[in-house]
Amino acid sequence: MAISKTRNTTFFFLGLFIFSLPVLFLIFFPLGKLMTAPSLTSLVQAIMEKDVQAALLRSLFTSLSAALISVVFGTPLAYLLARRSFTGKKLIEGLIDLPIMIPHPVIGIAILGLAARDTALGKLLEWMGIQIMGSYVGIISVLTFVGLPFFLNTAKAAFESVPIRLEQVSMTLGAGQLSTFFRVTLPLAWRGIVLGMVMCTARAISEFGAVIVVAYHPMLAPVLIYERFTAYGLKYSQPVAVWLIFISVLLFVAMRLLSRSARQW
Amino acid sequence: MLNIKGLSVKLPGFVLYDINLQVDTGEFFAIIGPTGSGKSLLLEAVMGLLPGNTISSTGQIFLKDREITHLPPHKRGIGILYQDVALFPHMTVEENIRYGIRYHRIDKQRVEELFSFLTDRFGIRHLLKRYPVRISGGERQRVALCRVLILNPKVLLLDEPLSALDPLFQQEIRQLLRQLHKELGITFVIVSHNFEEVMYLAKKGAVIQKGQIVQQGQIEEIFNRPASSSVARFVGATNVFKVHKKDGCTKVGAFPIILDDKAKYSSFTHISIRPERIVAGVDRLNDGLPENIFEGNVVEMSRQSFNVSLRLERSDGILFHAIWPEYLVRSLGIGLGGSVKFGFFKGDVGTFKE
Repeated sequence: MAISKTRNTTFFFLGLFIFSLPVLFLIFFPLGKLMTAPSLTSLVQAIMEKDVQAALLRSLFTSLSAALISVVFGTPLAYLLARRSFTGKKLIEGLIDLPIMIPHPVIGIAILGLAARDTALGKLLEWMGIQIMGSYVGIISVLTFVGLPFFLNTAKAAFESVPIRLEQVSMTLGAGQLSTFFRVTLPLAWRGIVLGMVMCTARAISEFGAVIVVAYHPMLAPVLIYERFTAYGLKYSQPVAVWLIFISVLLFVAMRLLSRSARQW
Repeated sequence: MLNIKGLSVKLPGFVLYDINLQVDTGEFFAIIGPTGSGKSLLLEAVMGLLPGNTISSTGQIFLKDREITHLPPHKRGIGILYQDVALFPHMTVEENIRYGIRYHRIDKQRVEELFSFLTDRFGIRHLLKRYPVRISGGERQRVALCRVLILNPKVLLLDEPLSALDPLFQQEIRQLLRQLHKELGITFVIVSHNFEEVMYLAKKGAVIQKGQIVQQGQIEEIFNRPASSSVARFVGATNVFKVHKKDGCTKVGAFPIILDDKAKYSSFTHISIRPERIVAGVDRLNDGLPENIFEGNVVEMSRQSFNVSLRLERSDGILFHAIWPEYLVRSLGIGLGGSVKFGFFKGDVGTFKE
């Protein structure tokens, strides 16, 4: 009896694995091909180029900035959405998810439209000497726009997973709401927030459609890859793409390890 | 010490209505009621932790003559111990215990003395560096108690503190609570639906049903003299009978019932008797006979742990419920279908009007 049960379980998981193969193939085969296509020499040559180095660093800087902005301003909103019911909450949640659904060049156009010279915001930005078109401000704005939903949804789920009872107990022990948030809620939701940051960075570092509308220059790595592909062909774009993937993987692994090392309980 | 006046809380689909309670200083007070009766909501209202979907709340709560109705939870001076203990999982046992100290003006030396006393008293000194996930259920309960007691609250609310523990730990924590109540003199309010626990710990209490206090007073009185048939059903006084009064005589079915003087002159329509108060084998007793003696047939018998639950049918068709120790049933030779003489003392009869 026990043997047949074990056999059934094995067949079940084998079945699951077989059905997963097309998906795994779809993800790993093109990426594997891409990663192994460039020679070591061409990879070394690519990373020695100043344009490549600058584009990769720019991509890292802008996407991490977008993630940081999402953490600072998105965390209070994520907590609010996780803990409170209020009129219009569903509408806000729907609006938050909107950037996931709309075509990305539209996001770039929307940001540019908002900051156009004939709008109040555009006039204010001009008066402050801030430019959207072709600037870091513009790039970070669109990256935050596209990455924020990923951060908010993950952080909200992390806050929801912290039992309200723990916050109540903290308050019965004398802590105020702010103290409770920083001593109980945040440390328990921390890993979820880091995961949200990873998701946001991942989304931002891979963004192309919205960025190219707002800023061709300063050039980010995806734009550089696109430029090399259209100007010189596949062979010249592949090494930069491999470096972007490699750096992204390193970054995400480091962030994951950081969030795990904090766990002692 | 704790005085609740006209407290009403309205939630979608539930109302806690006009709660009036007075808990004296140093008392061990029990709030008992079935699941969903509003016990925990009452505690939450006292703590100032009403649920987010509360529609309205009215009434007043006083602690030592100071109104605390509108104070936030952290300023009320009341501690609470939940059944799920809710230790902070990311903090060690010691960090959990010391969590609330910084929010209270307690002398540092006094805190250290209390910390040593409580951790020794609760036998948790060796656990201080461990995380809650690494200790047992009983130990967690002791840590949670220690965490709240170190703040020296005026009132400690216990929200079904033993229900999540296995029987061995239940007994341990129950004894600890009783000893602590004696030693520290803190006012305890326990919410429970466990009668054994309530009778062991509390002297006074209140019964809450469907959001309303339906009886309050001495615990003995509540269990032996319920104020309504619903309270009787809840506290397990299963023998509830409507009485007929004629020519100064109170009858249940065809037979008269002898009542004590207090009951005799009160206005009532029903009587109740606990099944444990039904006396077995009265025909074998020489003295100390109960005032009310009947004969009936055993129509139902079932085991309840080490007791036997019996239905006894009198000749007029009235059914009595008795719970007798198994050894007694065996030694008296009581069996299904057999005849048995049973009775009850007049002092064990509760009366109420309905």
